[in-house]
Amino acid sequence: MSKLGQVVESVEKYNRFVLDQVKRARTDEKFGRELVDRWNEVKANTPIMRAPTGLELPRLALPEVDEPGEIARYLFGEGLPGQFPFLNGAYREMYLEPEREIETGSFGKNGHGKNGHAKNGKIDKKKIDKPAQAEEPTRLFSGLMLAEDTNERFHFLTAHQRTHRLSTAFDGPTLYGIDSDADGVFGKIGEGGVAIDTVEDMVRLYDGFDLGSPDFSASMTISGPAPIIMAMYIAAAKRRFGAKVVPKLRGTVQADIFKEVQAQNETIFPTEASLRFLTDMVEYTTREMPRWYPISISGYHIGEAGSTPVQQAAYTLSNGFAYAEMFVARGMSVDQFGPRLSFFLDCGLDVEYIALARVSRRIWAIGMRDAFGAGPRGQMFKLHTQTSGRSLVAAEFKNNLTRTAAELMLAYMNATNSSHSNSADEPFTTPTEEWIRLAAHGQAILLEESGIFKHTMNMLSGSPGMKAVERAVEAAILEEFREIERMGGVLAAVENRYQRSQIQSAAHRYEQQIYDGTRPIIALNKYCNQDDAPEVKLSRTPRSKQQLQIDRLTKFKKKNAEKAKRALAKLADVVERGDNCFPSLLEAVEVCSLGQITDRLQEVVGRFRPMV
Amino acid sequence: MALPVRILTAVPICDGHDSAINTINLEFIRHGIEVVYLGYHRSVGDIVRAAIQEDVCAIGISSYNGGHIEFFADVVKQLRKRGADDIKVFGGGGGTITLADAMAMERKGVEKIFFAGTSLDEMADYVREKYGKPRKKRSRAKTRDIELARKLTQIEDRFAKSKRPASKGKIRNPKSAVRNSRVIGFTGPGGAGKTTLIDELVLRFLRQEPKARIAILSHDPSVVGEGALLGDRATMINSQDDRVFMRSMATRGQTGGLSPATEGCLRELIQGGFDYVIIETVGTGQEAMPFQKNGIVDLTVLVMNPDYGARLQLQKIVMLDLADIVVVNKTDQARARAAILEIERRLDQNKRAQQLVASVAKRHRDPGVDELFGLISGKQNVEALAAASAGHGKRRSPRRAPLQRRRRKR
Repeated sequence: MSKLGQVVESVEKYNRFVLDQVKRARTDEKFGRELVDRWNEVKANTPIMRAPTGLELPRLALPEVDEPGEIARYLFGEGLPGQFPFLNGAYREMYLEPEREIETGSFGKNGHGKNGHAKNGKIDKKKIDKPAQAEEPTRLFSGLMLAEDTNERFHFLTAHQRTHRLSTAFDGPTLYGIDSDADGVFGKIGEGGVAIDTVEDMVRLYDGFDLGSPDFSASMTISGPAPIIMAMYIAAAKRRFGAKVVPKLRGTVQADIFKEVQAQNETIFPTEASLRFLTDMVEYTTREMPRWYPISISGYHIGEAGSTPVQQAAYTLSNGFAYAEMFVARGMSVDQFGPRLSFFLDCGLDVEYIALARVSRRIWAIGMRDAFGAGPRGQMFKLHTQTSGRSLVAAEFKNNLTRTAAELMLAYMNATNSSHSNSADEPFTTPTEEWIRLAAHGQAILLEESGIFKHTMNMLSGSPGMKAVERAVEAAILEEFREIERMGGVLAAVENRYQRSQIQSAAHRYEQQIYDGTRPIIALNKYCNQDDAPEVKLSRTPRSKQQLQIDRLTKFKKKNAEKAKRALAKLADVVERGDNCFPSLLEAVEVCSLGQITDRLQEVVGRFRPMV
Repeated sequence: MALPVRILTAVPICDGHDSAINTINLEFIRHGIEVVYLGYHRSVGDIVRAAIQEDVCAIGISSYNGGHIEFFADVVKQLRKRGADDIKVFGGGGGTITLADAMAMERKGVEKIFFAGTSLDEMADYVREKYGKPRKKRSRAKTRDIELARKLTQIEDRFAKSKRPASKGKIRNPKSAVRNSRVIGFTGPGGAGKTTLIDELVLRFLRQEPKARIAILSHDPSVVGEGALLGDRATMINSQDDRVFMRSMATRGQTGGLSPATEGCLRELIQGGFDYVIIETVGTGQEAMPFQKNGIVDLTVLVMNPDYGARLQLQKIVMLDLADIVVVNKTDQARARAAILEIERRLDQNKRAQQLVASVAKRHRDPGVDELFGLISGKQNVEALAAASAGHGKRRSPRRAPLQRRRRKR
């Protein structure tokens, strides 16, 4: 049995354990009394807060139960926010606003929301160590044209934020590890993301941001050449702040190879070689950069490629367990890498999204604890959510604001740790400032303006409908796990293109449902207006900028020609020998371009053979 | 009977968005169109070369990652440059291609852009109507590839028009025309890795024989009068090269793994002066040799998977009696060792000089594929084998590739 089989067993076993506890609470009087006492204590210690209207509410919403069996079902089956099995949240306070209106009580101890400590002028060291609780969840994905243009966008987006959480989109050539001067990619330079060829571009990209600050984090959405780009980021940080900055760097690099092979198609080396480079990087970063997330296990692209929500969660989780298995096989301890794994899910409008992330968090926690022996920090499913780009349509595109708002609601109901809301103009263009601003405001309106999430944690959890979705989704995910296990585990299933086929047939069904009208898309197949395409502003990269990028690259290559040759030879040698190649990559990026490194690595390990 | 419409579809370079094109391909096939699918992240050069070799009526491009104006225009330009502007270009990109973009693209010679919300039926109807008409008289072919591609189309069309085999056998002895062409037939069950294996061999041919030209005839199943997905090109990354002429054929209802037009096309390729001509059948079962009848295949290779089932199944595979080389691919799988031993014993019964090779074709620089390459390209071996298959040669013991997996040190 692979680890995935053990995960299925551990979840089944845990569910039986919960039922046993319920039964025991009802029959074992002493145990029942203990539970009731604990429950009453939690309630008594929950502070009361006052909404601006004067209404008093508890800081934590709990179900109205007083019977020991039901208390056991809640405490063991779901857990309080921030407690195993984390159904209600990986952390506690999450979106709560600062405590100023609150009468004291112990449960809200470290519950400073955003702006919390900045306001009293004092900065509490301990709180900064728990950034996920103290930061704004807003993390907007952006990247356009050249590094300096994206840099400008980053400053625009974070101008009003205390914490700077950047999320970087790369252009096509960068995602495929190709240089901007490669044949036939001219028109793609700076389209859909930023063009990065060298460490010098990387320096420009984050100019003006304090990369070593505890209030800064950078996310980079790239997988195929992720180790090379990661090395460039480190090299750029060193150029600006010296070598001492490395252990302080915070952020995420996506580096999810499985989902690339299953759905997104941006793989450049054969699967096994890609996984090896990834493991090299994870080994290095978990040792040298304790605050970095070297992988973001992503369902987003699986969802966007057309999977069902259950497939999305099942493939993402099983990919996560497969990575964990691989890192253990390399000799890393689960408590070294476990806390450095993060997740990324899509949130669309299908009913499953009411509880998809909640269920995922629970399965991850149980699997990591019981099948992998991970400690509490390695059990937490730390989640970034993006609203569904695929759900947005060009026809009467302003409706996309409503779609995104509804999806954001679902994401917060699932207690996501950070989120990206799509711009309404995304069906046609890299977001323009007008619409990206509205997208960012959407998050602020829900979290800061509305009273839905800021007064009481767990506010919308646990409705009977949500529970029904949880049960159905969990059963369906476990069934997918069993199917993958029958095929010999994740890697074997990937090689048999199982996940790809499943995603493709789900995508096909989705399209057919749109065309036959069984899936209504407003203004596309229902309540349509006959008006032609809307007048929208487009963000496109001017040819002069594309040429500038090539000129810069040419200069870099010329300047470093000799050194590059040596660095590449050394890198190839290390890869050939099978040693961890990340330190050599760190040296190579100083003098080589992304494309030069990709080419050299492909000579040694081969190219990825696409799957249809 | 109407000729099937043949088109090529692809996604541009640096673009992996294949969800739309996958759905569209399926709909095209459902509407009776033969689709040669080149895959995602493909360069203009690859698309144009493939379209010419496949002699399609049109190229459909699905682009979601920007830069579409330049990319589409470049495809049109390259087609013109190579004298293939009777191949039309159409495409779409959901909302990413705006009306203004589409107008600019049409000015540059793109025939049609479909916008978001176009129904799949509408697209398929457009393709069938626009590209389904018999081609007008075509101007003289400007390149060797175009000329050859058109001849192959004529051969296929003859069979599509009349169900009767039209082979008048003009070439009595095709091998006498060009002595150097070596014809190698690959067959075996679906999923054994034939396509990957061939592509890895092509990589070795191209690297080690700097002037060699290779032709590939690749088959995918289809039913008479219906569409087909011809998708081998998408995974054959090394075979998209100017020294490789590849043609994807639908079987159009013929059983046995080949098309009714295969033999004619093969004769044409042999005369085309290629150093190697490779034929790949569709995934086959236990039936007999697909290459027997024509007698122009020099060497037959059976590619197998270790998981063929019980040992008894081997007795039923007629190809095991007939193949010159048997490749057990995917020997990284659990059952590989046992499979190799069983197949070795099975071949022993034949008392012929059949070769057995163990490979993992998906692995870069796989020694098993190197060995197969040596057998196929080394003149000595081939002559010995050819003689052996005629019933003369002496038996040699099957060769075994090292089975142990090389452990990587770290």
